[in-house]
Amino acid sequence: MSSGEQNPAVPAVRVTDLTVAYGDKTVLWDIDLEIPSGSMVAVVGPNGAGKTTLIKSIQGLVPRVAGVVSIHGKPYEKQRKEVSYVPQRGSVDWDFPTSVVDTVKMGSYGDLGWIRRPGKKEHEKALSALEKVDMLGFAQRQISQLSGGQQQRVFLARALVQSASVYLLDEPFQGVDATTEKAIVRILKELTAGGKTVLAVHHDLNTVSEYYERIAILNVGLVASGRVDEVFNSENLMKAYGGKTSFFPERKSAKRAV
Amino acid sequence: MSPHQFDIQLVAVIVAASCAIPGAFLVLRRMSMMTDAISHSILLGIILAFFLVKDLSSPILIVGAAASGVLAISLIEAVNRARLVKKDASIGIVFPFLFSVAVILLSKYARNVHIDTHSVLLGEIAFAPFNRLILSGMDLGPKSVYVMGSILLLNLLFISLFYKELKVSTFDESFASSIGFRPRLIHYLLMAVVSLTCVGAFDAVGSILVIALIVIPPCCAYLLTDSLFRMILLSVVFGISAAVSGFWVANWLDVNIAGSMAFVCGVFFLVVFLLAPQRGLFGIMREKRRQRMDFAEASLLVSLYNQEIGETVKNHPDSRGMFRSADFASKVVEFLKRKGEIAVAGGKLFLTEKGRERARMTVEGR
Repeated sequence: MSSGEQNPAVPAVRVTDLTVAYGDKTVLWDIDLEIPSGSMVAVVGPNGAGKTTLIKSIQGLVPRVAGVVSIHGKPYEKQRKEVSYVPQRGSVDWDFPTSVVDTVKMGSYGDLGWIRRPGKKEHEKALSALEKVDMLGFAQRQISQLSGGQQQRVFLARALVQSASVYLLDEPFQGVDATTEKAIVRILKELTAGGKTVLAVHHDLNTVSEYYERIAILNVGLVASGRVDEVFNSENLMKAYGGKTSFFPERKSAKRAV
Repeated sequence: MSPHQFDIQLVAVIVAASCAIPGAFLVLRRMSMMTDAISHSILLGIILAFFLVKDLSSPILIVGAAASGVLAISLIEAVNRARLVKKDASIGIVFPFLFSVAVILLSKYARNVHIDTHSVLLGEIAFAPFNRLILSGMDLGPKSVYVMGSILLLNLLFISLFYKELKVSTFDESFASSIGFRPRLIHYLLMAVVSLTCVGAFDAVGSILVIALIVIPPCCAYLLTDSLFRMILLSVVFGISAAVSGFWVANWLDVNIAGSMAFVCGVFFLVVFLLAPQRGLFGIMREKRRQRMDFAEASLLVSLYNQEIGETVKNHPDSRGMFRSADFASKVVEFLKRKGEIAVAGGKLFLTEKGRERARMTVEGR
């Protein structure tokens, strides 16, 4: 795998001057962002802040008005295989006629390339990814029979099959049960411990300090980015959310200190 | 069965199979009505091709038809991607426009030529055996068999080469794009295949039957299986069965063949819609009834169990007040007695060993 050759001094993801617009509405404005290799980063911000758009535009899934994205120092277009994407669970039709293991197998399609079919090796890979997310018993289940948390685990398993070094997750904890949330955090932490980089859109400000070491606070523009203990403060949150949040990180840590 | 009857069924079976294959993907992509758009848009291509070659029987007309089908799809996609109107509206905007351009051209410049969708494309399957392929004096059978046979082979080739690409881009377009497949390219390839299939099939059997054969068999299959591969296979089986049985229905009632094939498709769907084991209307109702009964049984058992171990019971089971009607309560009791999970003695209900086990499992969450 090429992940062994990466220079840790080069950021895993570097976004320069990224601007995205839908029609005449600017969704992301002049974002400069560097994500160091091996870090776990939360992307937070109010509704409409462009969090999902950031994840998508990094991969060129929405057209950029301006901006350059590089992965491990090379343009995204040449590094597609280094990036694994977990879209929002609600973005697909779960009534699609397919089984859990076949859905996870889709993670290997990128490596297979055009026309070549998945075989035994890909099947084994899918099963071992399902084992990692604790869903092996559901392998032959039809995907419409899964709960929200199980669907999210299947999506994560599909991403694990990709053997990428950068994971982009869009709201991985949305509408999942507490057990699944814990399981996903554990897996993501294992990934970063192994040198992988995780960038996740996150909603629950209460759990930011617990789950992540870095954060990017977004509201169309980038309000702040850096280590959670340095930039995750009420001043930056006020800038991003305005009066729309009653969460103050200092108060929480002060309480913990007592 | 006369050779004539055999030829008609042969053509119908080939058409049905070649329609069902791309049809499965159209249905899953919520684009069934694309076939309707294609059926109207192709008139423009036929007319432009006719102006070019001035010959109504030229195969260039078919090429023109297929090309304008692809044009319609591209325009729909372009209107769609601008995100200014909804998806279904973009279909409704594009094809009447193309159709009306065709009608204007026709009435302005080709008034004296007998050309319209009916003469060129609303094929009549009853005539399929008369249009024969004759090579150096040898009669090789109906032309439609060869035209549609080639289209069927092309469809089979397309789906076996790009099965995985079609699957992933139909299920999760943005993921497909993130792993380097190009969903838009796949979309256009699929649409080109659909367009060609439509044009060939319209010529052989007529447009309403084609729409029926593309949309209905995959919908039946969708309600019966959980696997994409089996869904495609079943679609083909449904399409072929509708073609053959439709033919004999027409023969028996002495009515229009294409019409009765489309009718049989509809009947198939109605039956599957009602009777599909899990997803059919009756299946869903049965499942709901089963769940209601399951829950009622469990609550009665748990209530008795709690009473046994001395917990306070909100609704006394003997009062049967826990159920919405005395009728339903007696039914629950009757069911449980038959299963051997409760017994009645002296007008009172008691748990049997089996019933106690089930109650305990319910309480302790299995």
